[in-house]
Amino acid sequence: MTPTASDRPEGASEPGGPAFWVGAVVGWGVIVAGIVGLLSQSGQTRPSDAARWVLGAAVLHDLVLAPVVIGIGLLLTKAAPRRWRAVVQGAFVITAMVSLFSIPFVRGYGRIANNPSLLPGNYATGLLTVLAVVWAGAAVILVVRLRPLRRRPTR
Amino acid sequence: MVRTTAPSTERRPFRPPVTADSFASPLHDRRTAALLGIALGVAFLVAFLTGLISHFIQYPPGWFLWPSRPAGLYRITQGVHVATGIATIPLLLAKLWVVYPHFWGWPPVRGAAHLVERISLIPLVGGSLFMLFSGVANIARWYPWNFNFPTVHYWVGWITIGALVAHVAAKIGITRSELRRRSRDGASEAVPAAALPAADGPGGLGRRGFLTTVATASGLLTLFTVGQTVRPLERLALLAPRRPRTGPQGVPVNKTAAGAVVTELARDPAYRLVVEGRGVQRRLSFTLDELRAMPQRQAELPISCVEGWSSSATWRGVPVRDLLAMAGARDGATVRVQSLQRKGGFKASTLNRDHAVDPDTLLALELFGEPLHIDHGFPCRLIGPNRPGVHQTKWVTRLVVK
Repeated sequence: MTPTASDRPEGASEPGGPAFWVGAVVGWGVIVAGIVGLLSQSGQTRPSDAARWVLGAAVLHDLVLAPVVIGIGLLLTKAAPRRWRAVVQGAFVITAMVSLFSIPFVRGYGRIANNPSLLPGNYATGLLTVLAVVWAGAAVILVVRLRPLRRRPTR
Repeated sequence: MVRTTAPSTERRPFRPPVTADSFASPLHDRRTAALLGIALGVAFLVAFLTGLISHFIQYPPGWFLWPSRPAGLYRITQGVHVATGIATIPLLLAKLWVVYPHFWGWPPVRGAAHLVERISLIPLVGGSLFMLFSGVANIARWYPWNFNFPTVHYWVGWITIGALVAHVAAKIGITRSELRRRSRDGASEAVPAAALPAADGPGGLGRRGFLTTVATASGLLTLFTVGQTVRPLERLALLAPRRPRTGPQGVPVNKTAAGAVVTELARDPAYRLVVEGRGVQRRLSFTLDELRAMPQRQAELPISCVEGWSSSATWRGVPVRDLLAMAGARDGATVRVQSLQRKGGFKASTLNRDHAVDPDTLLALELFGEPLHIDHGFPCRLIGPNRPGVHQTKWVTRLVVK
Protein backbone atom coordinates (compact mmCIF):
# COMPACT_ATOMS: atom_id res chain seq x y z
CA MET A 1 0.00 0.00 0.00
CA THR A 2 1.12 3.50 -0.77
CA PRO A 3 1.88 5.46 2.36
CA THR A 4 0.30 8.87 2.53
CA ALA A 5 1.09 11.95 4.52
CA SER A 6 -1.38 11.07 7.24
CA ASP A 7 0.07 7.58 7.61
CA ARG A 8 3.45 9.03 8.29
CA PRO A 9 4.52 10.02 11.76
CA GLU A 10 4.10 13.76 11.21
CA GLY A 11 0.35 13.34 10.98
CA ALA A 12 0.31 12.38 14.62
CA SER A 13 2.43 15.20 16.04
CA GLU A 14 0.53 18.27 17.13
CA PRO A 15 2.29 21.53 17.96
CA GLY A 16 2.05 22.89 21.49
CA GLY A 17 3.80 22.88 24.82
CA PRO A 18 5.70 25.61 26.66
CA ALA A 19 8.64 25.69 24.19
CA PHE A 20 6.24 26.21 21.29
CA TRP A 21 4.50 29.15 22.95
CA VAL A 22 7.73 30.79 24.14
CA GLY A 23 9.09 30.50 20.59
CA ALA A 24 5.88 31.88 19.14
CA VAL A 25 5.88 34.91 21.47
CA VAL A 26 9.60 35.69 20.97
CA GLY A 27 9.40 35.04 17.24
CA TRP A 28 6.35 37.23 16.75
CA GLY A 29 8.00 39.92 18.87
CA VAL A 30 10.85 40.01 16.36
CA ILE A 31 8.45 39.84 13.41
CA VAL A 32 6.47 42.79 14.76
CA ALA A 33 9.72 44.72 15.37
CA GLY A 34 10.64 44.09 11.73
CA ILE A 35 7.25 45.25 10.51
CA VAL A 36 7.42 48.38 12.69
CA GLY A 37 10.92 49.08 11.34
CA LEU A 38 9.68 48.64 7.79
CA LEU A 39 6.79 51.03 8.42
CA SER A 40 9.01 53.57 10.22
CA GLN A 41 11.12 54.04 7.07
CA SER A 42 8.18 54.05 4.70
CA GLY A 43 9.81 56.62 2.41
CA GLN A 44 12.46 54.05 1.52
CA THR A 45 10.59 50.82 2.07
CA ARG A 46 7.26 51.65 0.38
CA PRO A 47 5.48 49.22 2.73
CA SER A 48 2.65 48.29 0.38
CA ASP A 49 5.12 47.49 -2.40
CA ALA A 50 7.37 45.55 -0.01
CA ALA A 51 4.37 43.60 1.32
CA ARG A 52 3.30 42.79 -2.20
CA TRP A 53 6.71 41.28 -2.98
CA VAL A 54 6.97 39.32 0.28
CA LEU A 55 3.44 37.91 0.21
CA GLY A 56 3.54 37.61 -3.57
CA ALA A 57 6.62 35.40 -3.27
CA ALA A 58 4.76 32.99 -0.97
CA VAL A 59 1.62 32.94 -3.12
CA LEU A 60 3.56 32.53 -6.35
CA HIS A 61 5.52 29.64 -4.87
CA ASP A 62 2.60 27.82 -3.27
CA LEU A 63 0.06 28.24 -6.04
CA VAL A 64 2.19 28.35 -9.20
CA LEU A 65 5.78 27.16 -8.83
CA ALA A 66 5.16 24.18 -6.54
CA PRO A 67 2.24 22.73 -8.57
CA VAL A 68 4.23 23.10 -11.79
CA VAL A 69 7.25 21.35 -10.25
CA ILE A 70 5.07 18.57 -8.82
CA GLY A 71 3.40 18.14 -12.21
CA ILE A 72 6.73 17.89 -13.99
CA GLY A 73 7.88 15.43 -11.33
CA LEU A 74 4.83 13.22 -12.00
CA LEU A 75 5.44 13.29 -15.75
CA LEU A 76 9.07 12.45 -15.19
CA THR A 77 8.19 9.50 -12.97
CA LYS A 78 5.97 8.12 -15.71
CA ALA A 79 8.25 8.94 -18.64
CA ALA A 80 11.70 7.97 -17.43
CA PRO A 81 12.64 4.30 -17.63
CA ARG A 82 12.84 2.76 -14.19
CA ARG A 83 16.58 2.19 -14.16
CA TRP A 84 17.36 5.73 -15.32
CA ARG A 85 14.79 7.42 -13.17
CA ALA A 86 16.80 8.50 -10.14
CA VAL A 87 19.64 9.99 -12.16
CA VAL A 88 17.30 11.76 -14.59
CA GLN A 89 15.28 13.15 -11.68
CA GLY A 90 18.44 14.44 -10.03
CA ALA A 91 19.74 16.04 -13.23
CA PHE A 92 16.37 17.74 -13.80
CA VAL A 93 16.28 19.09 -10.25
CA ILE A 94 19.76 20.60 -10.63
CA THR A 95 18.94 21.95 -14.09
CA ALA A 96 15.83 23.68 -12.76
CA MET A 97 17.59 25.23 -9.76
CA VAL A 98 20.64 26.46 -11.65
CA SER A 99 18.47 27.85 -14.46
CA LEU A 100 16.18 29.66 -12.04
CA PHE A 101 19.18 31.33 -10.41
CA SER A 102 20.62 32.31 -13.78
CA ILE A 103 17.56 34.08 -15.18
CA PRO A 104 18.51 37.66 -14.18
CA PHE A 105 22.06 37.16 -15.45
CA VAL A 106 21.10 35.53 -18.74
CA ARG A 107 18.44 38.16 -19.35
CA GLY A 108 20.86 40.91 -18.30
CA TYR A 109 18.15 43.08 -16.73
CA GLY A 110 20.75 45.03 -14.76
CA ARG A 111 23.12 45.87 -17.62
CA ILE A 112 24.14 49.54 -17.85
CA ALA A 113 25.67 50.87 -21.08
CA ASN A 114 28.33 52.94 -19.30
CA ASN A 115 29.57 50.09 -17.08
CA PRO A 116 30.88 47.06 -19.00
CA SER A 117 32.47 45.59 -15.85
CA LEU A 118 28.96 44.83 -14.58
CA LEU A 119 27.59 41.47 -15.83
CA PRO A 120 30.62 41.08 -18.11
CA GLY A 121 30.08 37.45 -19.08
CA ASN A 122 28.00 35.70 -21.69
CA TYR A 123 25.65 34.10 -19.20
CA ALA A 124 23.65 32.08 -21.72
CA THR A 125 26.86 30.31 -22.71
CA GLY A 126 27.83 30.06 -19.05
CA LEU A 127 24.51 28.45 -18.11
CA LEU A 128 24.67 26.01 -21.04
CA THR A 129 28.21 25.09 -20.01
CA VAL A 130 27.15 24.38 -16.44
CA LEU A 131 24.17 22.33 -17.63
CA ALA A 132 26.40 20.41 -20.02
CA VAL A 133 28.61 19.53 -17.06
CA VAL A 134 25.54 18.42 -15.08
CA TRP A 135 24.17 16.17 -17.83
CA ALA A 136 27.60 14.80 -18.68
CA GLY A 137 27.94 13.87 -15.01
CA ALA A 138 24.49 12.26 -15.09
CA ALA A 139 25.45 10.30 -18.22
CA VAL A 140 28.61 9.01 -16.56
CA ILE A 141 26.64 7.88 -13.50
CA LEU A 142 24.08 6.15 -15.75
CA VAL A 143 26.73 4.32 -17.75
CA VAL A 144 28.43 3.13 -14.59
CA ARG A 145 25.13 2.01 -13.04
CA LEU A 146 23.72 0.33 -16.11
CA ARG A 147 26.88 -1.58 -16.99
CA PRO A 148 25.85 -5.19 -16.97
CA LEU A 149 27.23 -7.11 -14.05
CA ARG A 150 29.95 -9.29 -15.43
CA ARG A 151 30.86 -12.48 -13.79
CA ARG A 152 34.41 -12.67 -12.63
CA PRO A 153 36.17 -15.04 -15.01
CA THR A 154 36.98 -18.30 -13.32
CA ARG A 155 40.28 -19.92 -13.94
CA MET B 1 -42.09 8.06 4.23
CA VAL B 2 -39.17 6.67 2.37
CA ARG B 3 -35.67 7.84 2.97
CA THR B 4 -34.21 8.89 -0.34
CA THR B 5 -30.69 9.82 0.68
CA ALA B 6 -28.15 7.09 0.68
CA PRO B 7 -26.63 6.84 4.16
CA SER B 8 -23.10 6.55 2.81
CA THR B 9 -23.10 9.98 1.17
CA GLU B 10 -24.96 11.54 4.11
CA ARG B 11 -22.27 10.56 6.61
CA ARG B 12 -19.16 11.32 4.58
CA PRO B 13 -17.52 14.59 5.70
CA PHE B 14 -16.32 17.04 3.08
CA ARG B 15 -12.83 16.52 1.72
CA PRO B 16 -11.24 18.76 -0.91
CA PRO B 17 -9.99 17.07 -4.08
CA VAL B 18 -6.36 17.78 -3.10
CA THR B 19 -5.17 17.02 0.41
CA ALA B 20 -1.84 16.15 1.99
CA ASP B 21 -2.57 12.53 1.06
CA SER B 22 -2.53 13.35 -2.64
CA PHE B 23 1.25 13.53 -2.78
CA ALA B 24 2.69 10.12 -3.44
CA SER B 25 6.45 10.65 -3.19
CA PRO B 26 7.86 9.21 0.03
CA LEU B 27 10.34 12.09 0.05
CA HIS B 28 7.64 14.36 1.50
CA ASP B 29 8.60 12.98 4.89
CA ARG B 30 9.60 14.24 8.29
CA ARG B 31 13.18 13.07 8.22
CA THR B 32 14.04 14.69 4.89
CA ALA B 33 12.37 17.87 6.15
CA ALA B 34 14.34 17.72 9.40
CA LEU B 35 17.71 17.29 7.68
CA LEU B 36 17.07 20.07 5.18
CA GLY B 37 15.66 22.20 7.99
CA ILE B 38 18.87 21.96 10.00
CA ALA B 39 20.97 22.93 6.97
CA LEU B 40 18.63 25.84 6.21
CA GLY B 41 18.63 27.03 9.82
CA VAL B 42 22.42 27.18 9.88
CA ALA B 43 22.54 28.92 6.47
CA PHE B 44 19.95 31.53 7.50
CA LEU B 45 21.76 32.21 10.76
CA VAL B 46 25.07 32.76 8.93
CA ALA B 47 23.42 35.01 6.36
CA PHE B 48 21.58 36.94 9.09
CA LEU B 49 24.68 37.54 11.23
CA THR B 50 26.94 38.52 8.32
CA GLY B 51 24.14 40.74 7.01
CA LEU B 52 23.81 42.37 10.42
CA ILE B 53 27.56 43.07 10.47
CA SER B 54 27.33 44.74 7.09
CA HIS B 55 24.34 46.80 8.21
CA PHE B 56 26.10 47.96 11.38
CA ILE B 57 29.19 48.95 9.39
CA GLN B 58 27.07 51.11 7.13
CA TYR B 59 24.80 52.49 9.85
CA PRO B 60 26.94 52.16 13.00
CA PRO B 61 25.10 52.32 16.31
CA GLY B 62 26.94 54.14 19.11
CA TRP B 63 28.36 50.98 20.67
CA PHE B 64 29.69 49.61 17.40
CA LEU B 65 33.25 50.36 16.25
CA TRP B 66 34.23 48.45 13.11
CA PRO B 67 38.03 48.03 13.23
CA SER B 68 40.32 48.82 10.31
CA ARG B 69 42.10 45.48 10.77
CA PRO B 70 42.31 42.76 9.57
CA ALA B 71 42.25 44.49 6.19
CA GLY B 72 40.32 41.71 4.44
CA LEU B 73 37.72 40.97 7.12
CA TYR B 74 34.78 42.61 5.36
CA ARG B 75 35.77 40.86 2.16
CA ILE B 76 35.27 37.60 4.05
CA THR B 77 32.09 38.43 5.99
CA GLN B 78 30.34 39.86 2.96
CA GLY B 79 31.69 37.19 0.62
CA VAL B 80 30.26 34.62 3.03
CA HIS B 81 26.95 36.50 3.19
CA VAL B 82 26.40 36.45 -0.56
CA ALA B 83 27.83 32.97 -1.13
CA THR B 84 25.67 31.57 1.67
CA GLY B 85 22.57 33.17 0.18
CA ILE B 86 23.30 31.66 -3.23
CA ALA B 87 24.02 28.20 -1.79
CA THR B 88 20.79 28.39 0.22
CA ILE B 89 18.55 28.64 -2.86
CA PRO B 90 18.47 24.87 -3.56
CA LEU B 91 18.06 24.12 0.15
CA LEU B 92 15.02 26.38 0.45
CA LEU B 93 13.35 25.18 -2.74
CA ALA B 94 13.93 21.54 -1.77
CA LYS B 95 12.61 22.08 1.74
CA LEU B 96 9.48 23.81 0.48
CA TRP B 97 8.90 20.95 -1.94
CA VAL B 98 9.33 18.35 0.81
CA VAL B 99 6.79 19.99 3.16
CA TYR B 100 4.45 21.16 0.41
CA PRO B 101 1.75 18.53 1.12
CA HIS B 102 1.15 20.19 4.50
CA PHE B 103 -0.04 23.26 2.62
CA TRP B 104 -3.05 21.15 1.62
CA GLY B 105 -3.47 19.56 5.05
CA TRP B 106 -7.07 18.78 5.96
CA PRO B 107 -8.62 20.07 8.14
CA PRO B 108 -6.70 23.29 7.52
CA VAL B 109 -6.61 24.16 11.21
CA ARG B 110 -6.46 21.63 14.03
CA GLY B 111 -6.35 23.90 17.06
CA ALA B 112 -4.93 27.13 18.47
CA ALA B 113 -1.27 26.04 18.35
CA HIS B 114 -1.65 24.68 14.83
CA LEU B 115 -3.25 27.95 13.75
CA VAL B 116 -0.36 29.97 15.21
CA GLU B 117 2.12 27.64 13.54
CA ARG B 118 0.46 28.02 10.16
CA ILE B 119 0.16 31.81 10.39
CA SER B 120 3.86 31.99 11.31
CA LEU B 121 4.63 30.22 8.04
CA ILE B 122 3.43 33.24 6.04
CA PRO B 123 6.32 35.51 7.13
CA LEU B 124 8.67 32.51 7.09
CA VAL B 125 7.95 31.32 3.55
CA GLY B 126 7.33 34.77 2.08
CA GLY B 127 10.31 36.25 3.91
CA SER B 128 12.72 33.43 3.00
CA LEU B 129 11.79 33.51 -0.67
CA PHE B 130 11.95 37.30 -0.68
CA MET B 131 15.38 37.42 0.97
CA LEU B 132 16.92 35.05 -1.55
CA PHE B 133 15.14 36.52 -4.57
CA SER B 134 15.89 40.14 -3.67
CA GLY B 135 19.49 39.27 -2.83
CA VAL B 136 20.06 37.60 -6.21
CA ALA B 137 18.29 40.43 -8.03
CA ASN B 138 20.50 42.95 -6.22
CA ILE B 139 23.79 41.29 -7.18
CA ALA B 140 22.43 41.16 -10.74
CA ARG B 141 21.61 44.89 -10.36
CA TRP B 142 17.98 44.18 -11.25
CA TYR B 143 15.42 46.28 -9.36
CA PRO B 144 11.91 45.33 -10.49
CA TRP B 145 10.34 47.09 -7.47
CA ASN B 146 9.86 50.63 -6.19
CA PHE B 147 11.47 50.36 -2.76
CA ASN B 148 15.05 50.86 -1.61
CA PHE B 149 16.67 47.42 -1.64
CA PRO B 150 19.01 47.51 1.40
CA THR B 151 16.38 48.92 3.76
CA VAL B 152 13.72 46.37 2.85
CA HIS B 153 16.22 43.49 2.73
CA TYR B 154 17.28 44.49 6.25
CA TRP B 155 13.80 44.71 7.81
CA VAL B 156 12.47 41.62 6.05
CA GLY B 157 15.61 39.89 7.37
CA TRP B 158 14.34 40.57 10.89
CA ILE B 159 10.84 39.42 9.98
CA THR B 160 12.22 36.21 8.50
CA ILE B 161 14.52 35.46 11.42
CA GLY B 162 11.64 36.08 13.86
CA ALA B 163 9.45 33.65 11.94
CA LEU B 164 12.36 31.20 11.97
CA VAL B 165 12.57 31.41 15.77
CA ALA B 166 8.87 30.54 16.03
CA HIS B 167 9.29 27.74 13.50
CA VAL B 168 12.34 26.22 15.20
CA ALA B 169 10.49 26.23 18.53
CA ALA B 170 7.59 24.44 16.85
CA LYS B 171 9.74 21.85 15.12
CA ILE B 172 12.66 21.21 17.44
CA GLY B 173 10.96 18.22 19.09
CA ILE B 174 10.26 16.49 15.78
CA THR B 175 13.74 17.27 14.49
CA ARG B 176 15.36 15.84 17.62
CA SER B 177 13.35 12.64 17.44
CA GLU B 178 14.26 12.27 13.75
CA LEU B 179 17.95 12.62 14.56
CA ARG B 180 17.63 10.10 17.37
CA ARG B 181 15.90 7.71 14.99
CA ARG B 182 18.98 7.77 12.83
CA SER B 183 21.26 6.49 15.55
CA ARG B 184 18.73 3.79 16.35
CA ASP B 185 18.48 2.75 12.72
CA GLY B 186 22.22 2.75 12.35
CA ALA B 187 24.18 5.44 10.58
CA SER B 188 25.12 3.36 7.57
CA GLU B 189 21.72 3.23 5.86
CA ALA B 190 20.38 6.66 5.01
CA VAL B 191 16.93 5.42 4.00
CA PRO B 192 15.53 2.61 6.08
CA ALA B 193 13.56 0.37 3.77
CA ALA B 194 10.49 0.48 6.00
CA ALA B 195 10.44 4.27 6.09
CA LEU B 196 10.82 4.63 2.37
CA PRO B 197 8.88 2.07 0.40
CA ALA B 198 8.80 2.11 -3.36
CA ALA B 199 5.81 4.42 -3.70
CA ASP B 200 7.54 6.44 -6.39
CA GLY B 201 8.12 3.30 -8.36
CA PRO B 202 11.40 1.55 -7.87
CA GLY B 203 14.35 3.41 -9.29
CA GLY B 204 13.27 6.94 -8.30
CA LEU B 205 15.43 9.10 -6.08
CA GLY B 206 15.65 7.90 -2.50
CA ARG B 207 16.31 10.23 0.38
CA ARG B 208 20.07 9.96 0.11
CA GLY B 209 19.91 10.56 -3.63
CA PHE B 210 17.59 13.52 -3.18
CA LEU B 211 19.76 15.16 -0.53
CA THR B 212 22.87 14.50 -2.65
CA THR B 213 21.11 16.18 -5.58
CA VAL B 214 20.25 19.25 -3.52
CA ALA B 215 23.78 19.45 -2.12
CA THR B 216 25.16 19.15 -5.65
CA ALA B 217 22.97 22.02 -6.83
CA SER B 218 24.22 24.17 -3.93
CA GLY B 219 27.78 23.16 -4.63
CA LEU B 220 27.56 23.94 -8.34
CA LEU B 221 25.98 27.35 -7.76
CA THR B 222 28.80 28.11 -5.33
CA LEU B 223 31.52 26.75 -7.61
CA PHE B 224 30.37 28.81 -10.58
CA THR B 225 29.86 32.09 -8.68
CA VAL B 226 32.32 32.28 -5.81
CA GLY B 227 35.19 33.11 -8.18
CA GLN B 228 33.91 36.68 -8.05
CA THR B 229 35.71 36.95 -4.72
CA VAL B 230 37.92 33.84 -4.48
CA ARG B 231 40.71 34.49 -6.98
CA PRO B 232 41.81 30.88 -7.67
CA LEU B 233 38.25 30.10 -8.85
CA GLU B 234 37.99 33.22 -11.02
CA ARG B 235 37.99 31.29 -14.28
CA LEU B 236 35.02 29.23 -13.10
CA ALA B 237 32.90 32.32 -12.32
CA LEU B 238 30.61 31.59 -15.29
CA LEU B 239 27.46 32.66 -13.45
CA ALA B 240 28.94 35.44 -11.31
CA PRO B 241 27.86 39.04 -11.87
CA ARG B 242 31.50 40.18 -11.64
CA ARG B 243 34.95 38.99 -12.62
CA PRO B 244 37.59 40.33 -10.24
CA ARG B 245 39.94 41.31 -13.08
CA THR B 246 37.37 42.73 -15.50
CA GLY B 247 37.09 46.50 -15.47
CA PRO B 248 39.12 49.65 -16.08
CA GLN B 249 42.74 49.02 -14.97
CA GLY B 250 41.73 45.43 -14.20
CA VAL B 251 39.35 46.28 -11.34
CA PRO B 252 35.53 46.17 -11.55
CA VAL B 253 33.53 49.36 -11.10
CA ASN B 254 30.20 49.79 -9.37
CA LYS B 255 29.38 53.43 -10.13
CA THR B 256 30.97 54.99 -13.19
CA ALA B 257 31.85 58.68 -13.53
CA ALA B 258 29.11 59.01 -16.14
CA GLY B 259 26.62 57.30 -13.81
CA ALA B 260 27.57 59.65 -10.96
CA VAL B 261 27.59 62.70 -13.29
CA VAL B 262 31.04 63.87 -12.18
CA THR B 263 33.07 63.63 -15.39
CA GLU B 264 33.43 67.40 -15.93
CA LEU B 265 33.95 68.26 -12.27
CA ALA B 266 36.62 65.57 -11.92
CA ARG B 267 38.59 66.88 -14.92
CA ASP B 268 38.20 70.56 -13.98
CA PRO B 269 41.67 72.15 -13.45
CA ALA B 270 40.08 74.13 -10.61
CA TYR B 271 39.79 70.87 -8.63
CA ARG B 272 40.88 71.21 -5.01
CA LEU B 273 41.03 68.86 -2.07
CA VAL B 274 40.00 70.67 1.09
CA VAL B 275 40.61 69.57 4.70
CA GLU B 276 38.45 71.49 7.14
CA GLY B 277 35.96 71.16 9.97
CA ARG B 278 35.68 71.81 13.68
CA GLY B 279 38.30 69.17 14.46
CA VAL B 280 41.22 70.93 12.69
CA GLN B 281 43.39 73.92 13.63
CA ARG B 282 44.14 74.92 10.02
CA ARG B 283 41.99 74.64 6.93
CA LEU B 284 44.05 73.18 4.06
CA SER B 285 43.54 73.21 0.32
CA PHE B 286 45.52 71.22 -2.24
CA THR B 287 45.70 71.12 -6.02
CA LEU B 288 46.18 67.72 -7.64
CA ASP B 289 49.87 68.51 -8.29
CA GLU B 290 50.36 69.45 -4.64
CA LEU B 291 48.87 66.12 -3.59
CA ARG B 292 51.19 64.32 -6.00
CA ALA B 293 54.18 66.17 -4.50
CA MET B 294 53.41 64.91 -0.99
CA PRO B 295 55.02 61.77 0.47
CA GLN B 296 53.16 58.79 -0.99
CA ARG B 297 52.40 55.43 0.50
CA GLN B 298 51.61 52.19 -1.33
CA ALA B 299 49.16 49.58 -0.07
CA GLU B 300 47.74 46.30 -1.34
CA LEU B 301 44.04 46.51 -0.50
CA PRO B 302 40.85 44.90 -1.74
CA ILE B 303 37.75 46.63 -3.01
CA SER B 304 35.14 44.53 -1.18
CA CYS B 305 31.70 45.18 -2.53
CA VAL B 306 28.56 44.71 -0.48
CA GLU B 307 27.35 42.67 -3.46
CA GLY B 308 29.85 39.95 -2.60
CA TRP B 309 32.62 40.44 -5.16
CA SER B 310 36.08 41.65 -4.31
CA SER B 311 39.26 42.57 -6.10
CA SER B 312 42.69 43.24 -4.65
CA ALA B 313 44.79 46.00 -6.12
CA THR B 314 47.92 48.03 -5.50
CA TRP B 315 47.04 51.59 -4.54
CA ARG B 316 49.35 54.56 -4.04
CA GLY B 317 48.50 57.91 -2.54
CA VAL B 318 48.55 60.24 0.45
CA PRO B 319 47.75 58.73 3.86
CA VAL B 320 44.73 60.44 5.37
CA ARG B 321 46.47 60.59 8.73
CA ASP B 322 49.30 62.70 7.21
CA LEU B 323 46.70 65.21 6.02
CA LEU B 324 45.07 65.19 9.44
CA ALA B 325 48.44 65.80 11.10
CA MET B 326 49.17 68.73 8.76
CA ALA B 327 45.81 70.25 9.57
CA GLY B 328 46.39 69.78 13.30
CA ALA B 329 43.41 67.48 13.76
CA ARG B 330 42.56 66.49 17.30
CA ASP B 331 43.13 62.91 18.46
CA GLY B 332 40.25 60.52 17.99
CA ALA B 333 38.65 62.62 15.26
CA THR B 334 36.22 61.12 12.79
CA VAL B 335 36.30 62.29 9.21
CA ARG B 336 33.51 62.80 6.73
CA VAL B 337 34.86 62.10 3.24
CA GLN B 338 32.89 63.93 0.56
CA SER B 339 32.75 63.33 -3.17
CA LEU B 340 32.24 65.62 -6.13
CA GLN B 341 29.14 63.51 -6.65
CA ARG B 342 26.06 65.63 -5.93
CA LYS B 343 23.42 62.93 -5.63
CA GLY B 344 23.20 59.33 -4.48
CA GLY B 345 23.46 57.57 -1.15
CA PHE B 346 27.21 57.11 -1.35
CA LYS B 347 28.39 60.60 -2.18
CA ALA B 348 30.10 60.63 1.23
CA SER B 349 31.34 58.21 3.87
CA THR B 350 32.69 58.42 7.40
CA LEU B 351 36.07 57.29 8.68
CA ASN B 352 35.68 56.28 12.31
CA ARG B 353 38.55 57.06 14.67
CA ASP B 354 40.14 53.68 13.96
CA HIS B 355 40.00 53.98 10.16
CA ALA B 356 41.07 57.66 10.18
CA VAL B 357 44.49 56.91 11.71
CA ASP B 358 45.24 53.60 9.97
CA PRO B 359 48.45 54.20 7.96
CA ASP B 360 46.94 52.37 4.95
CA THR B 361 43.85 54.57 4.77
CA LEU B 362 44.81 56.55 1.67
CA LEU B 363 43.57 59.18 -0.66
CA ALA B 364 44.76 57.14 -3.63
CA LEU B 365 46.08 58.84 -6.75
CA GLU B 366 47.33 55.71 -8.51
CA LEU B 367 46.11 52.19 -9.18
CA PHE B 368 48.64 49.57 -10.27
CA GLY B 369 51.19 52.34 -10.87
CA GLU B 370 49.02 54.44 -13.17
CA PRO B 371 46.89 57.50 -12.48
CA LEU B 372 43.39 56.47 -11.40
CA HIS B 373 40.91 55.83 -14.18
CA ILE B 374 38.07 58.32 -13.89
CA ASP B 375 35.67 55.45 -13.13
CA HIS B 376 37.89 54.53 -10.17
CA GLY B 377 37.67 58.04 -8.77
CA PHE B 378 40.18 60.34 -10.52
CA PRO B 379 41.59 62.69 -9.31
CA CYS B 380 41.66 60.92 -5.95
CA ARG B 381 39.65 58.39 -4.04
CA LEU B 382 39.47 56.99 -0.56
CA ILE B 383 40.81 53.46 -0.14
CA GLY B 384 41.24 51.92 3.28
CA PRO B 385 41.54 48.52 4.90
CA ASN B 386 38.43 46.60 5.95
CA ARG B 387 35.77 48.86 4.44
CA PRO B 388 32.78 48.08 2.25
CA GLY B 389 33.32 49.20 -1.34
CA VAL B 390 30.48 51.72 -1.13
CA HIS B 391 32.43 53.48 1.63
CA GLN B 392 35.59 53.80 -0.46
CA THR B 393 34.39 57.19 -1.65
CA LYS B 394 35.48 58.22 -5.15
CA TRP B 395 36.19 61.68 -6.66
CA VAL B 396 37.03 62.98 -3.16
CA THR B 397 37.05 66.74 -2.79
CA ARG B 398 36.58 67.43 0.92
CA LEU B 399 37.54 65.94 4.27
CA VAL B 400 35.42 67.30 7.10
CA VAL B 401 37.10 66.56 10.43
CA LYS B 402 34.80 66.31 13.44
